[in-house]
Amino acid sequence: MKLNRTSTLQAVMGAMLGAGVASVQAADLEFYFPVGVNAPAVATIEALTNAWAAKNPQHTVKAVYAGNYEETTTKALTAAQAGDPPQVAVLLAIDIFTLVEEDVIVPISDIATSAEDKAWMSSFYPSFMKDATFEGKTYAIPFQRSTPVFYYNKDAFREAGLDPDSPPKSWAEMIEVGKKLVVKDANGNVTRWGTRIPTLGLGGAWLFGGLVVSKGDVLSTDTGTEARFDTPAAKASLDFLLQLAAEGVMQPGGISWGDTPKAFLERQTASMWTSTGNLAFVSENAEFDWGVGFLPGGDGPGAPIGGGNFYIFKGTTDEERAAALDFIKFMTSPENAAVWAIATGYVAPRPDAWEMPEMKAYVQRLPQALVALEQLPHAEREFAVFQRAKVTQYLVDAIESVLAGSAEPAAALAAAQKKADEVLKEYR
Amino acid sequence: MSQGLNRIALGTLAFVLAGVWGLPFLYSVWTAFHPEKYSATFQWDAPITLMNFVEAWQAAPFGVYFVNTIILIVTILVANLVLCTLVAYAFVRYRFRWAGFLFGLVMVQLLISPEILIVENYLTLSRAGLTDTILGIALPYLTSAFGIFLLRQTFKVVPRSLDEAAQIEGAGAWRVLWTVYVPLARPVYLAYGLVSISFHWNNFLWPLIVTNSPEVRPVTVGLSVFATVESGVEWSLVNAATLMTTAPLIVTFLVFQRQFVANFMRAGIK
Repeated sequence: MKLNRTSTLQAVMGAMLGAGVASVQAADLEFYFPVGVNAPAVATIEALTNAWAAKNPQHTVKAVYAGNYEETTTKALTAAQAGDPPQVAVLLAIDIFTLVEEDVIVPISDIATSAEDKAWMSSFYPSFMKDATFEGKTYAIPFQRSTPVFYYNKDAFREAGLDPDSPPKSWAEMIEVGKKLVVKDANGNVTRWGTRIPTLGLGGAWLFGGLVVSKGDVLSTDTGTEARFDTPAAKASLDFLLQLAAEGVMQPGGISWGDTPKAFLERQTASMWTSTGNLAFVSENAEFDWGVGFLPGGDGPGAPIGGGNFYIFKGTTDEERAAALDFIKFMTSPENAAVWAIATGYVAPRPDAWEMPEMKAYVQRLPQALVALEQLPHAEREFAVFQRAKVTQYLVDAIESVLAGSAEPAAALAAAQKKADEVLKEYR
Repeated sequence: MSQGLNRIALGTLAFVLAGVWGLPFLYSVWTAFHPEKYSATFQWDAPITLMNFVEAWQAAPFGVYFVNTIILIVTILVANLVLCTLVAYAFVRYRFRWAGFLFGLVMVQLLISPEILIVENYLTLSRAGLTDTILGIALPYLTSAFGIFLLRQTFKVVPRSLDEAAQIEGAGAWRVLWTVYVPLARPVYLAYGLVSISFHWNNFLWPLIVTNSPEVRPVTVGLSVFATVESGVEWSLVNAATLMTTAPLIVTFLVFQRQFVANFMRAGIK
């Protein structure tokens, strides 16, 4: 009887101790995510989040859909400034400087310190880790990364007597091939253009970065304090865009990002330059034989990298940070990276994800998905500086005014450079 | 003769303007009921489908969102009508110290766009523990400078003699408000109600920022799932979702159309 009571007491104490330990480790996470691709992506994120919670019953996680990238950043910053930050969020890779300046994120390399953690951090493609680091610290983990590729209508290539398996590789070839692909009606109106490079807005600036990379330069450096607009490479890139229009290969004037896939699917253009995020959309809706190639380049291949990374926020407890790190590890595991890449068309950010059986089956079904991966070694980070929104707008204005014919390339770029330097000089 | 010509010219102009206004709407109806590939090719015999609506409905918990939006706009509307009426009545009926200054303060609010206050408002709500609640979304909008202004102007033109007659009959302040002022301002209430409902039905950024759970979010947040800029917009899906979420407003307007138009004309808001 007595013994029995003692053992009961021990059991109760043990349970309390156990509960105590569990409550020290337990964390309630809030996870903000944006959606830039097809709507079912929300369901995929929620399924992955629930799978993590099921595996870690001591924790809870709440996936909060927060609009597009811009709105998600606004929401996260607002909440952080009010002292109520999410523990973890997926935000634009190029927002790293804004987040560092606002002092709302913690370096992930300060939390992930074990040898195992370090091995994990080096398991991603170096191209994707480049824009996750600042001043020697890793602030982010790649999750939904995208890069533009060259989509082309193989049927149109055959019609024009071109080899459907060799898309143009250089700017000169693009113009030469493009001319052959243009179709006009009896009145001389163009019914199908040779190519379509979005030039308006932020999408236009993103692709423009790829043109500059292919001329062997970059628009911004790793410090976040330097914008390189007034360079020979940038001038050559603008000249190329003007030349495409002058030679009748591409519709003159500005070209919008959002309408481009539609124009391609409706055969109004024989090729387009746009994100790999469109792979699923094009493969579902194209009623012709289509292929994907590297972006044609100036001096060689070149492309920008965009998309979103995982960040962990300040104003959180150590337990929450540890749980957030575990959550990120789960979401970016090879299995889940593959699930996410297949559901969305984003580029899986680590080599071992491409070795997963479902990923192999996917690539076999849609070999076009491999092109972005092969192009990756030639890709550079997207334009990123402090005060990004403001400075990018100078570049957007320069590109748009040149294509609208209201400014000369050299003068427009020099003006944009001057304004950018004005903003960035206080960060140097 | 020239009057007849004028009428024809005006009639034509009205039709053209109505056409320009109606085209985007007709386009959204067209794309919503046809498969994606007909979204820019118009063929009279294109197959009609309801799949876009089914797919859109399943992409987000729209049922819950609709209920939330309705709770939200009813809360805001009721609070607006009560608070604005009382404030406007006080400004018109009573002379008190600082009245002009206080009314000036109310007017100044009209100049401040609500977006500027997002961080401050969020901070207030988070201290009060009201983030992620429908009341939290509604709180900054429970009273309205525009509503106060509108009702004050309306109450001001109510003839003083009516008010005095009611007082002679023995009516108190509440009774005067209820039996003299409010009935005379009926057209203004209807017009204001319409503007308020459509504004809050469409509000997006603030509800998105201040809420985290689908259980309290309004329809606009559900709609934004379809704005998939990065992967190319699927117009048929977007338009099906848009029609679905705006349908209650459109139906309400059609049902009350005659009254709304008449009231707008009388209230002088155009």
